[in-house]
Amino acid sequence: MEILVYGIINSVILSMVALGFTLVYSISRLPNFAHGALYVTAGFTTWLFLNRIGHMPYPVAIILSIFITGAMGALIYRFILIRIRGMEISEIISTYAIGLALLEGLRWGGLRGMTFTLPPFIEGSFQIFGVNVDYQRLIIVCCGVVVFLFLYFFTHFTKIGLALRGIAQDERAAMMLGIDSDMTAIISLAIGSGLAGFAAILLLPLGNIIVEAGYNVLIFAIAVCVIGGLGSWGGTIAASFIIGFAQILTEAFLSTHYQMVVALLAIIVTLLIKPSGIFGKQKELEERV
Amino acid sequence: MLEAFDLMVFYENMIALNNVSLTCKEGSIVGIFGSNSAGKSTLMYTLSGIILDIKKKEEMKGGERITVFGRINFDGKDVTHLKPHERAKIGIVLCPERRRIFPESSVMENLKIGSYLTSGHETKKNLEYVLDLFPRLKDHLHRQGGFLSGGEQQMLAIGRALMANPKILLLDEPLLGLSPAYQEIVIRGTEEIRRSKGISIIITEQYARPVIPIIDFGYILENGSSVLSGTREELMDNPDVKSAYFGV
Repeated sequence: MEILVYGIINSVILSMVALGFTLVYSISRLPNFAHGALYVTAGFTTWLFLNRIGHMPYPVAIILSIFITGAMGALIYRFILIRIRGMEISEIISTYAIGLALLEGLRWGGLRGMTFTLPPFIEGSFQIFGVNVDYQRLIIVCCGVVVFLFLYFFTHFTKIGLALRGIAQDERAAMMLGIDSDMTAIISLAIGSGLAGFAAILLLPLGNIIVEAGYNVLIFAIAVCVIGGLGSWGGTIAASFIIGFAQILTEAFLSTHYQMVVALLAIIVTLLIKPSGIFGKQKELEERV
Repeated sequence: MLEAFDLMVFYENMIALNNVSLTCKEGSIVGIFGSNSAGKSTLMYTLSGIILDIKKKEEMKGGERITVFGRINFDGKDVTHLKPHERAKIGIVLCPERRRIFPESSVMENLKIGSYLTSGHETKKNLEYVLDLFPRLKDHLHRQGGFLSGGEQQMLAIGRALMANPKILLLDEPLLGLSPAYQEIVIRGTEEIRRSKGISIIITEQYARPVIPIIDFGYILENGSSVLSGTREELMDNPDVKSAYFGV
């Protein structure tokens, strides 16, 4: 029972982490390797707002931080990626460099040690099927579901959301209808980075805000995306459940530090057996042609 | 309304369009005929600005060098350097070759994505208009675009372009791979669009016979050059055109 409950929780956590990365890639074909850095930045700014600047109430700090990470994503595209879009290697190098600069900048700026923590939204825990679960993890699962639903409605029933899906499916055909691909890329990066920030604020109360979390998050996000099929939403969710449960199982029967091994092993196995990922149907067809 | 002067397009050193000038008057249908590789699609990409996007992407990839010369005027304004989405905004909308509908979205969503530039009342009116024009789409509103037949996809592609409220509609080979029955529907639809909405239309095709009855003016492209142009009657009476494009 414990495995089931914590498996689900862990899967939702993974999909929250990966969602922003997938969203950006599926819409604008940009690999946002600064994802992990934005994640840590969101945690750090929230901590700043809570403890150093203004001592704001928790909800205000959260909303402000999500907004800031979203804006950072938009600015990254507007001033850097817009010049190199289409050169895949440069996209990867520059986003990764931005991520490195942010993370190491934070470390240099004093983000070290155990003093940086965010409080959980609600203290305490409760019992479900005889398993102890704290309220923070419950909130994570609920927020995860809300975010999925929100994104579904956003991309199916709003004009901008539909435009994003148009660009994702056939960029040029969408351009012919008057949709600006730079604009949609800015929006997708803003939403994707905002999601990274949101995930950070939900997940960081479970531990400390540390620079290394940025790298781990990036690796988990990439693992989930590669296994699910890059840019596939259904694949992302399926893959987070596969890795999520695999991690909890290894944790239960082997030991905790196999978590990362599981993720990396899954990438290797996927690339060997089905390089386009579980749901990467379209690309598989293209590969065959 | 739409005027293009001395368009020249090179892919590396290969010339795809050679000094093509063309005019489309308000409310008229212009046909462009030519065989494969005559430059029809390149011409459409140039008029709609897609060529600028292709050029940019190729430059980024370090691929083919594309060079574009010439000038395009629309409604008296120079639009040569406008990006595709900016041209769509002022009313130049391309319905591309091979339809390129969004395969994972439903028919309804395809049309909604097409209505990105319009809003509220106008969108509703356009939607009704499209569904009246091609009633067959009504039966499949919630089916995925990729599961439609070729003819239905073509109707959807034209409908989607209409949702963007064009002043001039560029149809690139709309009859490609369609059965005669569907060709008839598409041609009728095209004529109806001009008649009821006064939208100018430029239509390209390899085979002139099904299209020629509805055009006002036509151009014949060969190897990137416009070798002949004239009104419908002039083209129909020309013996060379007859043998090459009517299969007489």
